[in-house]
Amino acid sequence: MSQLVIDALVLGSIYLLFCLGMSISWGTIDILNFAHGGIFMFSAFVASQIVSHVELGLITICVISAVVGAVVSAAIDVLAFQPILRRAKNQRTAELQILIGGIGIGTIPVAIVQFYTLSEPFGFLRSTYETTVHSFGGMRLSSTGLVVLGCALVLTVSIAYWLKNTSHGLALRAIGVDSETAELMGVKRRQLSLLTMGISGGLAGLAGALLTFNLGAITAESGETLLIKAFAIIILGGVGSTGGAALGAMILAFSEVLVLRYTGGGWVDAVGFGLILVVLLLRPQGIFGKKEVRRV
Amino acid sequence: MTTELVRPQPDHSGPDAGDVLTLDDLAVHFGGIKAVDGITLGLARGRISGILGPNGSGKSTLLGAITRLTPLTRGTLRFEGRDYSRVRPEAVARLGIGRTFQTVRLLEDLTVRENVQLGHDLIAGARPWWRRPGKADRETADAAVATALERTGLAGKEALRPGQLSYGLQRRVEIARAIVMSPKLLLLDEPTAGMNRFEREEIGELMADLRAEGLTQLIVEHDVQMMVDVCDHLFAMNSGRLIASGTPSDVVRDPAVREAYLGRQDNDDRDS
Amino acid sequence: MSDFYFSNIVLIQSTFTVLLLALSIQIQFRMGVFSFAGAAFYGMGSYGVAILVLHYDFGAFSALATIVVICAMVGYLLSLVVQRLNGLYLAMATVAFVMIVTVVAHNGGTLTGGSVGLFGVLTPVEISVPHLLAVCAVVVAAMIVSERGAMGRRIEAVREDPELASAMGINVARYRKMSFVLSGVLGALGGGLNILMMTAIAPENIGFPLIVLALTIIIVGGSRSWIGVLIGALIFTWLPVVLEQVGTYQSIVYGVIVAIAAIFMPGGITGIVTDLYRRRSARSNADAFESEQRLEARAAEEDAAEAAELQAELASSTTPSGGSR
Repeated sequence: MSQLVIDALVLGSIYLLFCLGMSISWGTIDILNFAHGGIFMFSAFVASQIVSHVELGLITICVISAVVGAVVSAAIDVLAFQPILRRAKNQRTAELQILIGGIGIGTIPVAIVQFYTLSEPFGFLRSTYETTVHSFGGMRLSSTGLVVLGCALVLTVSIAYWLKNTSHGLALRAIGVDSETAELMGVKRRQLSLLTMGISGGLAGLAGALLTFNLGAITAESGETLLIKAFAIIILGGVGSTGGAALGAMILAFSEVLVLRYTGGGWVDAVGFGLILVVLLLRPQGIFGKKEVRRV
Repeated sequence: MTTELVRPQPDHSGPDAGDVLTLDDLAVHFGGIKAVDGITLGLARGRISGILGPNGSGKSTLLGAITRLTPLTRGTLRFEGRDYSRVRPEAVARLGIGRTFQTVRLLEDLTVRENVQLGHDLIAGARPWWRRPGKADRETADAAVATALERTGLAGKEALRPGQLSYGLQRRVEIARAIVMSPKLLLLDEPTAGMNRFEREEIGELMADLRAEGLTQLIVEHDVQMMVDVCDHLFAMNSGRLIASGTPSDVVRDPAVREAYLGRQDNDDRDS
Repeated sequence: MSDFYFSNIVLIQSTFTVLLLALSIQIQFRMGVFSFAGAAFYGMGSYGVAILVLHYDFGAFSALATIVVICAMVGYLLSLVVQRLNGLYLAMATVAFVMIVTVVAHNGGTLTGGSVGLFGVLTPVEISVPHLLAVCAVVVAAMIVSERGAMGRRIEAVREDPELASAMGINVARYRKMSFVLSGVLGALGGGLNILMMTAIAPENIGFPLIVLALTIIIVGGSRSWIGVLIGALIFTWLPVVLEQVGTYQSIVYGVIVAIAAIFMPGGITGIVTDLYRRRSARSNADAFESEQRLEARAAEEDAAEAAELQAELASSTTPSGGSR
């Protein structure tokens, strides 16, 4: 039973790392980036390509992946999301166009990687990192799992702190509440938007690398389902709440691990999808929801 | 501050049996805010009534309540004597209540003609849905739309789209859309905002013509002069309550009304 | 001509089943209902017909008719379930619905064939392109009717300004529910006809990829009219043939096309065409407009003079105009 807990914690941490980026950009600058899954997977892919030529360690690989993610995400922001926002007639159409645009753009990295890998899984075969397994009290935790847990914890806490206590974080939240007034008061929306998308992409890249380490390999399609689960997690926890995302990630992970344990593997994904429906119908603002669910 | 209520008037101070629209102790509360706080009034048939009030007095909320877009906290709405306090918003138009909006709401992708036709569709749709409109139906519709456009001075502009029109013209399209429905009661929410003197007079004339045809009208306006010129009866609101009701010249001189607008008692009575 | 037909028969079939799929989603978009439920109904249509034919010996027409009715009812129920959701949240709820249908298909055991799917769906009456075209013709005719006249205006109002629509006597909630029912009918038709012609279905043929496909069609073709959807369907079914040289790059090309369309052409191809057409007719109206403007300018001058007069008048009589605006 307690092994289940460990597994759920690790899974939840991976989900959380993936979600953090989406949660930040959605909660502050109102961009629900559906290309996030593609960025996540693509960053790991680039890292794996580099690793196939050069032997590298865990940290290096993670850094490379994060950097790729940040750059790609920032590029998408500049080339796609900002232009869409500029041209949109109103808030409602902007939101939907960004969603659709994100879906469209998200197919590009997936297509590129499918082309190169022929949909076969890819991983970090020549990394110098070797995973070790620690046992204690009858439970097993791999070193990778430990890294994942650690990263998730450190990053979630730092980001929550940053959003609440620093001037940048405050500026971001001001944009989220009322972007026009924020701009009038000197908050440079475009720069902060770029920064946010960059950080969000970096987190996606990091998550990608860590998941690849944890599973051994991922495929071009790995980002798709994660994307929808991320949505489930964020609305469960409440948009704009970092703590909510953490709680949501753990709830989903635990539910999935339990479902996996007691039924066949096929129903695991349904947990996330069902969660979306349940949350939206019963309590759309989520557990710690701060933003009101706009009836557009 | 005086709680100057309704002054006894030779005109009516409260609802009458023959009134087209009756509000009985109407209240609309949003949480702790009492936007409309117990209003009782009646709109006399075939008259032009106006609602005067400073910003925040609750006039827009009142209009929203009358058109059922805003739910009531308390009270009843009666149209032609029948209680309609619980009907859905879309039923209001079917009763025969037409309206224009405070901000112009036209469909940008439709032409002026099509926007006005939208209003006519409501009364035209008395057929079973599978029967396509016959020639006679189309001719009636075209005639009604053409008349409405002419009366609002929009003849010749049918093919334009709202984006190509000035604000004043857009407002007129809204009015055309409302009158093409042949309503029994017309609600006008700040219809002349954004118009020049020339246009305002035209609207006033249009309203007089409609009154001559027997249409009952209710106008909410900021232009006090126009209200005084055009209305047969004025209601004044402040903080969700009715503070005066009577002929325009009387209401406009009412101390409670002047206090609401000016914030002080005006002791100098310079008028005749 | 018949050579072309037979060697490309699969593509021709695809064009029209995909058209039905995309229409099932576009019809909801047109009414301002941001829902992807059509993709779910397509999946349910495919699997439903397959199950009825394989396990219960239904004929083609009865299977199709039954599934269409079932999906219409499910659509209605779904509309009740999501009636308080809007925009993004409605979209995601319907995406979740699509994904759940996919998961059920994956885990349906012998009923749905699991991850392998169902095959050998053959009926005594063979369904082929003429049947498909007949169905599409009826559907398109219905679309045409719905885009013109009073119906077209009302749908426009329901999408662009639901409050206004209400004030015009339109029951917006009823249109929303209808959109789900229609989506159910169209999706089921598309999916059902698809499997009757392809005779095989697997979980990877339904679900999220259908959503992406429909979206790309609607974005590039245009969301306002069935013409846009048809253009989109033609482009995305036949583009691979054209791009055969490009071959494996085609999905990358797709993604780029969609991204560009989403950013620069939110109205799709039909949007651009309508814009151009309007700009040309607007130029001919420009003269009339100009003289109108001159008239207004003159009136404005009069207005300014009279306003000054009015100020003086009012200052000496009753209350000044305008409250605390």
